[in-house]
Amino acid sequence: MENVIEAINLTKYYNEFLAVDHIKFEVEKGEIFGFLGPNGAGKTTTIRMLTGLTKPSEGTARIFGHDIQSETIVAKRYMGIVPEISNIYDDLSAWDNLMFTGELYRVNKSERERRAKELLDMFGLYDRRNEKTKGFSKGMRRRLTISMGLISNPQSLFLDEPTSGLDVQSVLIIKDVVRELNQKGVTIFLTTHDIEEANVTCDRVAIIHKGKMAAIDTPERLKKTIQSVQSIEVAFDKALPKIMKELENIPLVNKVHKEGDKFRLYTQDPATVLSGLWEYAKANNLKPISLSTLGPSLEDVFVRLTEIDIKTERRNLNE
Amino acid sequence: MNKTRISVSQIKADLKASWAIAKKDMRIYYIKPGTLMFGVLFPLFMFLSFAVGKNAPAATLIPGLISITLLFSASSIGPMVIPTERRVKTFERLLSAPISFYSIILGKTLGGFLFSLAIGVIPLLIGLVWFGTQVISVLSLVLGLALPAFCFATLGIMFASFPTENPGDIMMLLNFVRLPLIFISGLYIPIESLPDWGQVVAAFSPLTYANDLVRYAFEGRTGYGPVLDVIVLLFFTVAFLFVGMRLDKKFRK
Repeated sequence: MENVIEAINLTKYYNEFLAVDHIKFEVEKGEIFGFLGPNGAGKTTTIRMLTGLTKPSEGTARIFGHDIQSETIVAKRYMGIVPEISNIYDDLSAWDNLMFTGELYRVNKSERERRAKELLDMFGLYDRRNEKTKGFSKGMRRRLTISMGLISNPQSLFLDEPTSGLDVQSVLIIKDVVRELNQKGVTIFLTTHDIEEANVTCDRVAIIHKGKMAAIDTPERLKKTIQSVQSIEVAFDKALPKIMKELENIPLVNKVHKEGDKFRLYTQDPATVLSGLWEYAKANNLKPISLSTLGPSLEDVFVRLTEIDIKTERRNLNE
Repeated sequence: MNKTRISVSQIKADLKASWAIAKKDMRIYYIKPGTLMFGVLFPLFMFLSFAVGKNAPAATLIPGLISITLLFSASSIGPMVIPTERRVKTFERLLSAPISFYSIILGKTLGGFLFSLAIGVIPLLIGLVWFGTQVISVLSLVLGLALPAFCFATLGIMFASFPTENPGDIMMLLNFVRLPLIFISGLYIPIESLPDWGQVVAAFSPLTYANDLVRYAFEGRTGYGPVLDVIVLLFFTVAFLFVGMRLDKKFRK
C-alpha cells in the first residue's frame, strides 16, 4: 500500500522546550488517520510540520513521496489544509473566498466555478454564496473553510479539529462529507479532541502525549491492549444518598463513575461484580432499569496512555 | 530541461498567485472610503502644513507633494494588512498554499504599489490641471511615480516582517523612519541648502532620489541625475525586499 504521509523523526524545539520528540508514522492511501492527544501534547505543531507551515528542528515529512522541506510547493499541491481556526476572508463572499483559494491552487477558472458550486451545494451554503461571510455563523464559517480546503480536489486532506464546538447540523454535514471523501479515495489526517468521533471515523489512530508517540493502531486493537479496563453500566429505578460509596465497596470494583442517571463500575472481573451488584440491589430494594457490560473504550485507552487523572487535572487548573 | 520547464511553470504560477493576492487585497483593504481618504488627505495636509505661506511657485511644490503622497500611501499598506492577516490567520492561508513565499511578498507589494500609484496621480492632476504645471520629461515622471511607489511599498513590507499582530506596533516604528525622511530629503529645504552633514544623511534616504526624479520631470533640475536616481531606487527596492524576507524567515522559525 502506498504511503501518502510519512513523518520521519519529526522534532520541534521552541527554544529549550521540546514540543515534538522524534515522532514517526505513516499514513496509507485511503486511510482516515486520527491524531489524538491532550491539549499541548504537540498535535498542532505536528500538523504544521507535516503541512510545511513550521520548520522541524530535526527530521522531515514526505507527502506522496515529496519531501516537505525540499519540495515544499510540490508536496503542498497534494494537500488540502483545514486549520483549527476558520481563516476565511470576512469581507469577501463565500463564492469569492473559494475563487481566490482556487487561484492560489492553480485551478483554472471553469473548473474553479464548477467545483465551487459543487462544494457550496455539498456543504449547504449555495443559497448564501453571494453574501459577505462576516455574517456567517461559526458552523457556516467552518463548512466554508473545509470547502476552501477542497477546492483543488486534493488527494489528502488535513483537518485540525474540524467539528470542535459546532452546532449539530454542521457536525453532521462535516462527518458525512469526510466519509464521502474517504470513499472516493481521499486520505484524511484528522486531529480531534472528540475520542468517540475518532473511534467511529478513523481506520487508525495515533495518540501523542508530551510530544511523544504513545500509541498507534486501529481503535479496536488499542482497546484490546487494556482489556483489564472493563466495566458494567447500570441504571436503577431510584437513587440512594450514598450509592456511589456503596457501589465502590462491592468486591473487585476498582472505581465508579456517575454518567447521567447511570453508574459505570470499572473492574477486571465483570462476572463477579455482576453477582455482587445483584445482591446489593436486592438488599437495598433497587430495580435495575438498564444493565450492560462494556469493553474498554477508546477514551479509556486515551486516559490510560496519557495518564490523565481528573482530580490532578483540576488541582493543576486551580493552582 | 525538464527542471527548467518546471521552474518556468512555477514562476508563471507564482506571478498569477501574486496578482490574485494583490487583487484580493485591493478589494478588501484599499478600495474603501476610509483608506482612500487617508491616502489622499494625510499627505496633503502634512504637505500644506509646511508649504503654506512659503510663496513658492507650484512647480516647486508639486514634486514634493507627489513624493510625500507616494511615501505615505505605499508604505502604509503592508504594515496595515500583514499584521491584520496574521491576527485573523488569513496570512497562514497564503503560507499553506502551493506558492512560493516570494509570490506572497510580491502580491502584497503589488497591492501597495498600485494603491500608491492611484493616489499619487491625484497631486499630479492637481498640479497639471489647477496650477498648470508643465511636465518636461514624461519618462522621468512615469519612472518617478512607479519606482518610488514600488520602493516604498517594499519599505512597508520590510517593516511588516516584524512578528506582531497589531498594525499599530509597526506604524509606530515606521513613523520613526518616515517622518524624519521628510525633512532630510529635499522636500522643503533643497539638498544643496542643507549643511554638509545633512547632505550626507540625505544621500541615504530613498525619498531624496524619488523627489529628485520627480523634480527633474517637472523642472529639469536635478541633484544626482535621473539615471543615478533610478539606480539607487532600484537598489533600495532590492535591499528592502531582501531584508524583509530574511527577517520574516528568521521570525517565523
